[in-house]
This record gives sequence, structure tokens and C-alpha cells, in this order.
Amino acid sequence: MDPETMKMLAVGLAVGLGMLGPGLGIGLIGFSALQALGRNPEARGPIQTNMILSIAFAEAIGIYVLIIAIILALVV
Amino acid sequence: MAKKGCFGCSLPLIIGIVVILIVSFLGGPIGSRLVGDIGLPSIFSAARPEPKLPAEVIFRLGWFKITNSIIASWISIAVLVALFYAASRRAKLIPSRLQNMMEMVLEWLVNFCKEVAGEQNGRRFFPVVATIFLFVITNAWIGLLPGFGTITVTGADGEHVELLRAANTDINLPLALALASFILVGYFGAKLTGPGRFLKQYFNFGGFFRGLGQLFRGKPRAGMSMVFTGIIDIFVGMLELLSVLIRIVSFTFRLFGNMTAGEILIFMVIFLAAWVAPIPFYGLELLVGFIQALIFAGLTLVFLTVATATHESEG
Repeated sequence: MDPETMKMLAVGLAVGLGMLGPGLGIGLIGFSALQALGRNPEARGPIQTNMILSIAFAEAIGIYVLIIAIILALVV
Repeated sequence: MAKKGCFGCSLPLIIGIVVILIVSFLGGPIGSRLVGDIGLPSIFSAARPEPKLPAEVIFRLGWFKITNSIIASWISIAVLVALFYAASRRAKLIPSRLQNMMEMVLEWLVNFCKEVAGEQNGRRFFPVVATIFLFVITNAWIGLLPGFGTITVTGADGEHVELLRAANTDINLPLALALASFILVGYFGAKLTGPGRFLKQYFNFGGFFRGLGQLFRGKPRAGMSMVFTGIIDIFVGMLELLSVLIRIVSFTFRLFGNMTAGEILIFMVIFLAAWVAPIPFYGLELLVGFIQALIFAGLTLVFLTVATATHESEG
């Protein structure tokens, strides 16, 4: 298998497998935030703030994967 | 009067937009492979983007390279200084519109700092957090203006480079901001809780040596247990130090990755369908720029709060 094909496979696999984690993570964070909001609608401010903060942490992992994929696809 | 259609604008306008969208899609790579070469004017197709990760050099001052992202960050500094100077010159008790808008922004930032860090510390951390937020968001939003990435000049090495590039897409700027955040967290932690106590979080040798002292004084069981907890304390301290250093890497790559991915996304969408399609992605970029600025400043604030938290209120 020549390097070009391997490179294309590598980029696709990196992004596909790598985005599973952050996708699930962000979904779980949203799930728990909505649950908490349903139980206690008055605490909407702090729940929203902390949810956005946690989502940014989880999203950063996905961004690391994207950087590797961009470097593989365009620079290597 | 034109009839109000869906979206609130007139029907010919909507038809015109859809036609331009279809024509520019046909001019891009996917469309021209589906339909073949119809001979559309070149205004409907864009060049294939070649993203270069290091920033390109425009000119040198001796050994120091001035890159296009440095010029863009100078522009955003100039914009911020001009806005706030114009808003605060002859400040009145009943504010003018510009002064009102800037006061709204600053008041929101002060409330954000006070909400996370408490009244006194919030006021103390406000300059750092507000500077980081305003600088990152200005860099991100200015990078969306026309002219960024399109004006070309001959660079220092003789090839055609773009004159301006969004400053957050050069990895040096997020790295510099992350290092500044790290140094400021250390400075405020040491200043507000005392340097000895701040360093004891990371280099906790006290328990270990006290345990050894107990051993030499002839109390073997108490001594051994203190030695073991001392060893665990040392390891926990080293892990905390490592997590602080990893924080620098994480801040850098979060900001750099989001901004670079957004820029490449917009270039790719322009390459695929040049005219109407990038509009929702511009909206996404505005939102992402705001959220990333908020996250960078907010995480700096959270780590500052954690580093200066004295445990007197507990127990």
C-alpha cells in the first residue's frame, strides 16, 4: 500500500475515531446539565456557566485531534 | 411594495440568492465534477486553500522577524486603544452611546470576575482577565474582515505572502498568552497566600522529613507511617506541578486549534461554493471566537481563584 493511500486512511481514521470521545463527552455534559436544570430551574445561571465551561474542556480534546489531522493531511 | 415572503424579504431576492448559490456551487470542485466544464466566469470559483501553519515573514528588523500575524495583532491593539480612548475622553455622568457600550462590556466583565472570584479578589483579577478576553476576541473577530488573507505583498524571502493573517492562528500568540496566564497565576498565588505556603502545594517535603525525624528519635511505628504519607505527599505535589505545566499546553492548543480550524473551514467552504455558502460559517466563527475568548479568560480566572483560595472558611 503506497504512502498516499496510507496517509488518506490515517487522516480519516484519526478524525473518525478521535471524535467519538468528545462527542460522547459533550452529550453527557448536556444530559446532566439538563437533568439538573429540570430538578432545580432556579439555579439556571450557575448550571449554564458550568456547563459551558465543561463543554469547552471536552471540545479541546476534539480540537487536538483536528490539529493532528490537519498536520497529517497538509504538512506531512 | 415587494411582497413579504418567508424570512421577511421579497421573493425575487430569495430567488436571486438561491441562483447565485447554485451557480457558485457549480463553479466549485464538486459541482464542476458533477456537471462538467460549463465555462462559468472565474468569479464563481476560488483557489484551493493551502494552509501554512507557521506565519509568513513580511520583513525583518535585524534578527527579529515581523510576520503577518504580528501586524494583525498590532491592528487589534490599535482598534482596542482607539475604541476605549474615544469612549472615555470627556466621560459624562449620563453617557454617550459609545461610552455606554464600552461601559456595558466592562461592567459585564467585572460582574463575571466577581461572580467567580468573590468581591475583593474579583476586583483584583479583573485587569488580567479583561485584557485577555478583549485581546483574544478582537483578534478573532478582526480576522473575519475582508482583507485578511487576501491582500498579497512580496515577503522577506521573495514569495507572495498575505499581508494580514488572524493573529490567533499563529501558535506563538496563544503560547504567549498561556505563559502569561501561568506566570500570573503563580504570582498572585504567591502574593496572596504567601510564597512558602504556595510552594508547599507542589514541593511538600515536610511530612517526609518529619517522619524521618520521628524514626531517628526512636518511635518506629509513628515514624514509618509519617514517612509513607510523606512519600505520597511528594508524589501528589509532583503531579500537581505536572498538571500546571500541562495546563499551558492545553490553553495554547485549545485557542490555536479552534481558530485555525475555523479559518481553514471558511477557506474550504469558499473553495467548495464561493458566494452564499460561507455566510452561516461566518456566524459560527463569530460565536466560536466569543466562546474561546470567554473560555481562555474564564479558565484563567478559575485557576487564579483556586490558587489564591485560603482554606479559612472551611471547618
